[in-house]
Amino acid sequence: MADGRHIEQGYACAEVVELASEYLEGAMTPEQRTRFELHLNLCDGCSTFLEQVRETAALASSLSVEEIPDDVRAKLLAAFRDWARE
Amino acid sequence: MVIGPAAGERAAEEDAVLVARLRGREERAFEEATSTFYPAMFAVARAYVRSGSDAEEVVQDAWLGVLKGLERFEGRSRLRTWVLQIVANIARDRAVREARSLPFSSLEDDAGEPAVEPERFRGPDEPYPGGWRSFPTDWATLPEERLLARETLDLVRRAIDELPLAQRTVITLRDVVGCAADEVSEALGVSEGNQRVLLHRARARVRARLERHLDG
Repeated sequence: MADGRHIEQGYACAEVVELASEYLEGAMTPEQRTRFELHLNLCDGCSTFLEQVRETAALASSLSVEEIPDDVRAKLLAAFRDWARE
Repeated sequence: MVIGPAAGERAAEEDAVLVARLRGREERAFEEATSTFYPAMFAVARAYVRSGSDAEEVVQDAWLGVLKGLERFEGRSRLRTWVLQIVANIARDRAVREARSLPFSSLEDDAGEPAVEPERFRGPDEPYPGGWRSFPTDWATLPEERLLARETLDLVRRAIDELPLAQRTVITLRDVVGCAADEVSEALGVSEGNQRVLLHRARARVRARLERHLDG
């Protein structure tokens, strides 16, 4: 865990968890990113948290997506054929 | 996600090929496009309308609009981004006609919610204020079959289904479907910053559900 001096200059863990997506999305300024990574290097708790957020996104990406129902597909194809004949 | 110039050019080229095939009335190209774009189109439509079948209708109407407007598509954005904006316009008109309140118009509820319960951190008068009381568990230490179990994925699905509408829409588009950040914020008409807030709240809630499940 970060020591007292580091918390004064850098982020506290409670702030890091709020900034996780800013970091993962590449939305930080270079200065913020440096402070954030400095904290991660010193704090196993926040590194684990960030890994959990990444894992959560990865699990979500492994879910199946909504597939086009057959009747919708058929109606769309009919509409396309009408359009193509115009 | 940051796309390099090479990837961006490749994407633009892919779009140009698909648009040319569609303009050439190639049925196979239309079938490919309707299948590939469907998950994102459905998720955008679903954010505004009452039911899944209403969302299906919006997707169909949107394709009619896409075919009609295809000659006007100039390739300034990705084809799917343009298509999603058409979906959102049609779905919004429908929501307004049905006097439904529009999601994404106020983010106050979403912005105020902490990603992790405040009790998990040390108070201002304790040593290391704002530091973890006890660290989260490293999921890498769990047996892999636990993390990838059907049960875990079902829980992720349920946790997403139970999110507030705006959060559910953003995490579905970003993480489940795999859309880019700018695509989502353009289609939904929210700033990139607000899009990130919604994504963060959504991931934080799903993470918390996973944590309770995996630690238990």
